[in-house]
Amino acid sequence: MLFSLSSGYITLETKLGLKVTGRCALTFKGVSGTYFYEMEQDVKRFLDSLNPEFDLAYRIVTDSYGYVWIILEGKRIEDLLAGLTAVGDTVEEKGFSDQILAAVFEFSSERQGGYQYLIYNYKRNNFYPFVPAGQKDRSTEQEMQIMAAVGDEMPFEKDMTRWYPMWDLPLRSRG
Amino acid sequence: MYTKKAPWQHRDTGLTIRMIVSFAVLTILYLVFLSVLAYVGLGAIPIALIAGMMILAQWYFSDRIVLWSSGAKVVTREQFPELHDLVELIVARNNLPKPRIAVINTKMPNAFATGKSKKSSVVAVTTGLMEMLDNEELEGVVAHELSHIKNRDVLVLTLASLFSTIAWYMMQFGMYGGMYGGGYGGRNRDNGGGMALVLLVAVITWFVSFLIIRAISRYREFVADRDGAMMTGKPVKLANALLKISGTMKRIPTQDLRQVEGMNAFFIVPAISGSSFTALFSTHPPVEQRVKKLMEMEASMS
Repeated sequence: MLFSLSSGYITLETKLGLKVTGRCALTFKGVSGTYFYEMEQDVKRFLDSLNPEFDLAYRIVTDSYGYVWIILEGKRIEDLLAGLTAVGDTVEEKGFSDQILAAVFEFSSERQGGYQYLIYNYKRNNFYPFVPAGQKDRSTEQEMQIMAAVGDEMPFEKDMTRWYPMWDLPLRSRG
Repeated sequence: MYTKKAPWQHRDTGLTIRMIVSFAVLTILYLVFLSVLAYVGLGAIPIALIAGMMILAQWYFSDRIVLWSSGAKVVTREQFPELHDLVELIVARNNLPKPRIAVINTKMPNAFATGKSKKSSVVAVTTGLMEMLDNEELEGVVAHELSHIKNRDVLVLTLASLFSTIAWYMMQFGMYGGMYGGGYGGRNRDNGGGMALVLLVAVITWFVSFLIIRAISRYREFVADRDGAMMTGKPVKLANALLKISGTMKRIPTQDLRQVEGMNAFFIVPAISGSSFTALFSTHPPVEQRVKKLMEMEASMS
């Protein structure tokens, strides 16, 4: 499912001038316990093992909601998608599939400035756009443009009342 | 909490029901009237003339009826200079005659166009619409209404209802004419059953044509969306306006996904969408479909 983005991002670039920044993340709800700790160690081991062949850097951050973020940075979208999918698989294999919330992909806009996001909701298995505009505002107009551009090409959430924002994404700097 | 409808939606549904009911009652009265004329032995030609006159009157007075029943007041440039400017800008760019402008004093966001010809037409907006929308969105809505005028949709719909009358009329005198005890002059005192049957068939005919008219009307809405968006060159603004008017915009969440996830089983709640029953009766296509088409236009423009 995530891999539909490997063609979708080209459409976003040609139609809307959105560029992949090379930052993306997977987030799941943190819980305390040995199994969860082991799973986190597995994810780290896996990501460390990637390093020679894949050009990926990673960070692990826990946000104020108690969600764990595995943040990947890389140049090639294929590597990022493969990395996120593998991390997701590791989390699921260890029995934490219900904890996985979303994957987030960051884009930069030449026209509007700032960052725009595609959020992949693991509960609904589809993407939706999120374009923050200021502290707690969003640009529905730009979000609709994104849906119009790639809505038919990717598994997409057509019901706008399910486009839940994710404010203060930890994809940059913090943590 | 997300499934609740905005308060205006209830009002809007109420209004729609009122309009459908009053339209239905009027039409049934009209059919009963014609049936009675047939029953008392009036010939086919006089009834055709009367029906024709009624249709003509309906068309001729349509704008006055609409203005009067909606409470719209035609306003001058002095009263609403900005609204006049906005309309003038669109008509000037698209080489259209300027319509009269009317305002309805209500919080409910709405707009309509009426008029027999391009010159005598009226575009009406509510004060609620002007408060809710920004300038470009209002432009989108006004352009949509101007497209209705340009496309002569009032005439199209009057003609469509004319066909329903003709259908009824042909049935009355073609298929069931013989039931009146032979010949239009002859009275038959015990054919109440025949009369009831005629009425029943007439009502069914009306009902089917009513659905057809609604379908035509929905199609004309799509056309007006498209043409209106072409006039302003900004489909996304009309889409925005539609989302605001329908209350969808308010239902786009601001609460964080991580907070919502904590609320139990939220994701199992099915989305509320209009049933096919209401879709069949409505004069306007669902907002999501209209927004989708507008956004496709927008995507092809960029």
